[in-house]
Amino acid sequence: MNLDFGQFVPNIPYILQGILVTLKFVSVSAIVGFALGTILALFKIGRVKVLSWLADAYTSVFRGTPLILQLLLFYHATPQLTGYDISAFEAGVLSFGLNSAAYISEIIRAGIRAVDTGQNEAAAALGIPYRPMMKDIILPQAMKNILPALMNEFITLTKESAIVSVIGVFDIMRRSQIVAAEKFKYFEPLLIAGIIYYVLVMMLTLVGKLVERRMSRSD
Amino acid sequence: MIKVENLHKKFGKNEVLSGIHTTIQKGEVVAIVGPSGSGKSTLLRCMNQLEHVSSGTIWVNDKKLTDSSTNIMQLRQSIGMVFQHFHLFPHKTVLENLIYAPMKVKGLKRQIAEKKAKELLEQVGLSIKANEYPKRLSGGQKQRVAIARALAMEPEYMLFDEPTSALDPEMVNEVLDVMKDLGNSGMTMVIVTHEMAFAREAADRILFLDGGKLVEESEPSAFFNNPQTDRAKAFLNKVL
Repeated sequence: MNLDFGQFVPNIPYILQGILVTLKFVSVSAIVGFALGTILALFKIGRVKVLSWLADAYTSVFRGTPLILQLLLFYHATPQLTGYDISAFEAGVLSFGLNSAAYISEIIRAGIRAVDTGQNEAAAALGIPYRPMMKDIILPQAMKNILPALMNEFITLTKESAIVSVIGVFDIMRRSQIVAAEKFKYFEPLLIAGIIYYVLVMMLTLVGKLVERRMSRSD
Repeated sequence: MIKVENLHKKFGKNEVLSGIHTTIQKGEVVAIVGPSGSGKSTLLRCMNQLEHVSSGTIWVNDKKLTDSSTNIMQLRQSIGMVFQHFHLFPHKTVLENLIYAPMKVKGLKRQIAEKKAKELLEQVGLSIKANEYPKRLSGGQKQRVAIARALAMEPEYMLFDEPTSALDPEMVNEVLDVMKDLGNSGMTMVIVTHEMAFAREAADRILFLDGGKLVEESEPSAFFNNPQTDRAKAFLNKVL
């Protein structure tokens, strides 16, 4: 064993700067995934057959193929097919956002299904139209139930975001690899990256717990 | 006036209502009674189209409720409904439960909606619970809030679907008392109930359903003292 963390101290700020990149990447992807996932979930439970079929097909494809394949396709095939020179960040957000939308839509669909149908009937009997009923009555109750599953998805997203390093986004992972390559030593920089990811996930877990507590005011 | 003409309702092949005719007059309190599975609740739920009819017509005032061109959402604003299992919005406080629909659907200002809501809570004796969440209420309290929530839309009609069936016995009366007051104030009410004493005392008319048919329709004293059909007699023998 010849471990020497001392020689990596000057590189730590460089790796830490990756946190911002990762956080920016994860939060944009999460917003895309959540927004699109909600829409897909509403399509799935809706009465319009074409839309629910489309949403199912979407989920099937994005869940049925490797994320890294989707990422590489968006990054390399977009310029080839459309001529648009997509940035690594855009390709990453696109593939992660669209991919997690598939998973989130299933989570939300299950959450909506779990809300008592009496809530729909009570809203209907009061003359409340579909849109406000979903937004103000059904979805808030669904969200409360699915919060743990949703946090799981966001945690996965945070960790898996390390994959974007393969297309050259300068996130925590990529930076630690660069440092490693520079010094021909892998263990220390990768361990530093691992600790950073772990702390990020812990903080996310904490946020999840706080939100959960806030949402169970009505219990 | 709610007018039901030749109403049929099928669930798959099973016909639960076959050829119901009746008219609910303004200001009337009508109790629907009958054995389980006789179609009472289905008939009630057709009156605000929570169940779509298979055939037949329902008029609410001069509007054909069963016409596909009718704006059902708008018509429902004038028909309040109270459910067996309350269906309060669990993530909203009692007050929020009451003001949500008036604000969202009728566009009332919060101040006005809250004033009305507080009056209604006073009326059902639950002013002190305004800021509680439904989970903190007893069954009887929940049902009184549910009645107040329906009344907050200032409906012309109130439908009650077995409003006391899910309650502990000692809570039944507090709900029935609120309903009696409501009936005395001139509200038009249709009530599916198993509370025969209440039906006898509070209703102007009894509809007796059995096997999806309207078997008897008469004043309470006539129905309970002198039922005309064997089926009504058999039913009353069991429940009284």
